[in-house]
Amino acid sequence: MPVLMRALRDADEKLSGVLDHAFAPALNPWRHLGALAFLCLVMVVASGIVAFAFYDTSVAGAYASGRRLQNDPLLIGRLLRGLHRYGADGFMLLSLLHLAREAARGHFSGVRWFSWLTGIPLLWMLWVAGITGLWLLWDERALWSITATAEWLQALPLSSDLLARNFLTPESLNDRFFSLILFIHIGVPLLLLAALWIHVQRVSLARLWPPRALTLCSLAIFALLALWVPAGSLGAADTTYVPATVSIDWFYLFVHPLVDALSATTVWLLAAAMTLLLALMPLLRPRPLALNASAPARVDLANCNGCARCAADCPFGAVIMIKRSDDRHHLQQAMVLNEMCAGCGICVGSCPSSTPFRRIEDMVSGIELPETPVAQLRQHLKIRLAELTASPKIMLFTCRQAADWDAGTFRDAGTAVMALECTGMLPPSFVEYALRLGADGVMLAGCRESDCEFRLGDRWVNERIAGLRAPQLRTGVPRESLMVAWTGSDPQRIRISLASLRARLESGPSILSSSSHSRHEGHHA
Amino acid sequence: MSDKSLPVVLRYALQVLAYGLFAAFLAYFSTAPAYRLRADNEALVKLSFSHSAQLVQACRERSEAELAKLAPNMRTKMDCPRERAAVRVELEMDGKPLHRILVPPTGLRKDGAATVYRRLEIPAGAHQFRARMADGANGAFNYVRDASLFLAPGQVLIVDFSAENGGFVFTLG
Repeated sequence: MPVLMRALRDADEKLSGVLDHAFAPALNPWRHLGALAFLCLVMVVASGIVAFAFYDTSVAGAYASGRRLQNDPLLIGRLLRGLHRYGADGFMLLSLLHLAREAARGHFSGVRWFSWLTGIPLLWMLWVAGITGLWLLWDERALWSITATAEWLQALPLSSDLLARNFLTPESLNDRFFSLILFIHIGVPLLLLAALWIHVQRVSLARLWPPRALTLCSLAIFALLALWVPAGSLGAADTTYVPATVSIDWFYLFVHPLVDALSATTVWLLAAAMTLLLALMPLLRPRPLALNASAPARVDLANCNGCARCAADCPFGAVIMIKRSDDRHHLQQAMVLNEMCAGCGICVGSCPSSTPFRRIEDMVSGIELPETPVAQLRQHLKIRLAELTASPKIMLFTCRQAADWDAGTFRDAGTAVMALECTGMLPPSFVEYALRLGADGVMLAGCRESDCEFRLGDRWVNERIAGLRAPQLRTGVPRESLMVAWTGSDPQRIRISLASLRARLESGPSILSSSSHSRHEGHHA
Repeated sequence: MSDKSLPVVLRYALQVLAYGLFAAFLAYFSTAPAYRLRADNEALVKLSFSHSAQLVQACRERSEAELAKLAPNMRTKMDCPRERAAVRVELEMDGKPLHRILVPPTGLRKDGAATVYRRLEIPAGAHQFRARMADGANGAFNYVRDASLFLAPGQVLIVDFSAENGGFVFTLG
């Protein structure tokens, strides 16, 4: 299992890397599949609300109203129908890709079990919402699909053979039944929105919306598609005639060919098995032991001043602020919800008391990872740097989530290496501390940009270095001696970045003497 | 790094290509490939009905001794078991059986209607149909209907049943 998961994760990283050639990493759609799916949902709901105003909800009028919209000379109807239909198709496709990617990255267990589990009903809901929408067109595809679905439902043990009789003759289907379908088509997406809200409850700062550029480009491509390839109706539903072939929407109607090929009962069993399998996946332990994140963070009240930065930075909402329980004058204190803590250490990086410059022997931070206390980080940093014999001396901090490198992979006479749980765990003051201890340069290497295993690590690192988020890297620290490289698990990218930093350090003035640099961003690779 | 080394124009071209491929994928699979519902020369028979069969046992009068054993509020003179017989249906086409089925009554007390829905593909053309139903406890066919019909390719023949209208009803679309 760990080997398979590592292979899947590497494959995902390679695919992301390929798309990075075209898109900036932060705008890579592969990294925003969930948000793009949400965008599709919003597009579908918005276009659906407008289209509903022109839709006749009767059996007799439904088809004609759809055709009227389709043939609107101003093309607004065509745009509406296209956005609604292709948006729904995109919603399904992107949701499935989102699920596949999260599965490949092992994001179905640990602290993510809740998001995973609450995502499963969404798939059923979006399928129901989509297929009922295709029925409302009441064309020959709709009649075939609704009949086939009724036949499929009739295979359930408690069902009788009455459902499909509703679609035998034009007289057997009444407007009330059609209203019921419409009710489902509107009601299920509303439920879906509520379920989505639950789905993202256990992630902080959930990326519901894609970046603006990606949003605009996606909307433009959907609009172009809607106008260029109209999503039209087929011939009117006719209960007396079955066409030889029908053009079907495979994103939602795939179930009918599957039933024809396997049998209704088999497809029910398959659907149940798939749902159960997805639901049981949180019980698996997909990650290699070495990559298992640390034990939950621990608050040390004596060093916690209740500043709430850890709570603000925690990517999973595992740190909350509560009323002070000791007699210190601070109003509140941090508290870690162990079951929600991923052990990433990002809270350690955000804590102002994590600075290595503190002049106490037994240094303890306000919030610590029990297995990697800040005092130990400081001690290891001193030892590693003292071992360096060649210049320029570089301190490389790697991320164990990006790759669990062997200790000697990048270490040489001029390069010391320390592995962190996440680059976001490193308090920015450690960069300055390393330089004060004699390092000529510091490099941080983590997961690919916008692909942090713990969601927000890269963002916080970038913002802390840029001085946009506390704790900030002091403005006096020369940025040219710092390199942040979002390399992922590719050792070659780390070596290239290291070589680039080394070349810069060798060619430039000594960083110890260059203190005139005011605030500007660190160099990113 | 390598991902930033591509010229801007090429990066934009690749973006257009990526969006285009996504759109093309959506456009294609939203309507294609077409799915074949039947062979070119096939027609369809839909055998479908909902029918309450005869009661398995006829009503009988309870004896005084039987009535005495019942609770006072349950002492109705007639005993009418609710269970209905299973419905046996045979549909023949050109003298050969097309479909045979024995349908039990629905309901926990087996007192509901027997319901059937079957979709049967047949060659298009002229056919002689015979539908028979046995809905009594003795299993004898008590409803029979014959019909000679021509079904064009794709045409749907609905074989329904209505006891009020004398039995089977053949409706050709």
